[in-house]
Amino acid sequence: MRKNLPLRILVLATVVVVSVVYILPVYVMVLTSLKTPLEITQRQYLVPTSSLQFGNYTTALRLVWPSLVNSSIIAVTVTAVSVFLGGLGGYFLSRFRWRISKVLFVLLAIALYLPYQALLIPLVQIVNKLHLALSHAGLILGYLILNVPLASILMATFFFSVPRELEESAEVDGASRLQIFFRIVSVVALPGYASAAILVFISVWNEFLLALTMSSPYTTTVQVKLTEIKGSYVALYNLQMAAALITVLVPLTFFLLLGKYFIRGILAGALKG
Amino acid sequence: MIGAVDRPPRPSLLRARAGEAAIFALPLVIFLFLLYAMLGWTFYTSVSNWQGTAANYSFGGLKWYRLMFSLDRFWVDIGNNLRWITIGVVPTVVAAVLLAYLLEIGTIKGVEPYLRTLILYPAAMSFIVTGTIWSWMYQPDRGVLNTILRGVGLGSIASGYTTDPDSATYWLILIFVWQYLGMSVLIVQASLRTAELQEMVESATLDGASRLRTLLHIIVPNIRGGLLVVVSLLLISALKVFDIVYVVTFGGPGYATDVLALHMLIATFQQHLVALGAGLAMVIFVLAFVIIIPYTIYALQRWFD
Repeated sequence: MRKNLPLRILVLATVVVVSVVYILPVYVMVLTSLKTPLEITQRQYLVPTSSLQFGNYTTALRLVWPSLVNSSIIAVTVTAVSVFLGGLGGYFLSRFRWRISKVLFVLLAIALYLPYQALLIPLVQIVNKLHLALSHAGLILGYLILNVPLASILMATFFFSVPRELEESAEVDGASRLQIFFRIVSVVALPGYASAAILVFISVWNEFLLALTMSSPYTTTVQVKLTEIKGSYVALYNLQMAAALITVLVPLTFFLLLGKYFIRGILAGALKG
Repeated sequence: MIGAVDRPPRPSLLRARAGEAAIFALPLVIFLFLLYAMLGWTFYTSVSNWQGTAANYSFGGLKWYRLMFSLDRFWVDIGNNLRWITIGVVPTVVAAVLLAYLLEIGTIKGVEPYLRTLILYPAAMSFIVTGTIWSWMYQPDRGVLNTILRGVGLGSIASGYTTDPDSATYWLILIFVWQYLGMSVLIVQASLRTAELQEMVESATLDGASRLRTLLHIIVPNIRGGLLVVVSLLLISALKVFDIVYVVTFGGPGYATDVLALHMLIATFQQHLVALGAGLAMVIFVLAFVIIIPYTIYALQRWFD
């Protein structure tokens, strides 16, 4: 194996560099969140000390709790509706290959990458006209407009891999398309639904621009709250870091437990869509 | 493939199929209609006279675009957005290809899943969270990077990072690269792992081609599709960038790190120059549209082959 020695050294060097670059920020984040402001002022946050301030988390949690509830309501609703409607739309795209599907596909592909800015002004107008400004409905509507197209493309790529023989034999037995869709195709494509759901959930949970613009005391999401904390507790890095960790806990748990579906979702959205 | 196109159906059956199709397509069509209607609405706002808090849709022509082009801040934005879409994208793609290739050829047991998870976890985090962490890393006085530098006796190269107007944007872009590298590696890896490409690489290796040659002459030309996807994805994300700038510098110092997306928000909701904000939104949209044309053509071919 002497020939491969330089290669091995290169790999190990890469491992070390990448590890430092990707672990250091999180390491510092966790340690800082457990320090007192004094320790931070004295720059003693790179190594753990005996008196870890778990109380910081109680304080941070009290600050972000209402926004955690808001974010959960919004993200769960948007995910459920997007994935359901996206399933229907995706089935159309994958099985009804007409000329109009091609037009629809192009409109979708553009919609997927549409900047939220292009919708912001009308959306605020609509939400104010409908008197939804103080409810979650405005944000939910805004997110649905971009996430139903996303979920449709994702689900279409998953439906492509469902064998058609299943549907044909059911059709011969006299089942309607809707029955076939709900009883057979959707069941076979359940992992696809999981991928789409995780992707939509994480993107809604993490979205900031829309959440900021339509923020009201009753609809502040966790991302907006985090920037408020960062703005009003400027010197309290320990609280900022604790709040940031709480914010990231939900999507990170999904990533660590259901990483396989997350990865499949990214690849489906990227390579085929 | 047995689809609607190749089976000659009876007219009644066709009507039944159209009915079924409508059930599946209708919700999606409604949302797409809403989306494009709102896009049109934004465009109309950009040529209206709307300034102030009350809506005003009287036609104003291109005067807000003329104002926009005369603003110094607009050209700072364009310059910064260009920095984002070049420096945020090119090094990320190059690093992703090298890293993906290295993981393919030289992996020691366990290294590949470890590294992949490690560089991918930021993909699940929001820009607001990464921005918060990196603000702390960059903090010039007590922040992490300068504390470490001083600790190892390199205090002389301690930097102001995002407080230095000349380099601030680059430090912001670094956060973006850090966050998007994992996703880029993931997509490149997926396009490396096709059977045809593996065979080509194998025969090149048997012919005695060096690893670098194999990478440049065989792998890179054959993952064009995957590269197009990664590049488009990164370009669009870099163009739309807003959260990182908002949370780390809010466009400062001065407006040295301002970008189109932040300017749009400030013009619309703080200065109440809504028509100008809509115009800035249209500029972002048009740039995004140009960027995704090649990608859309590619995706369309793949789907309807």
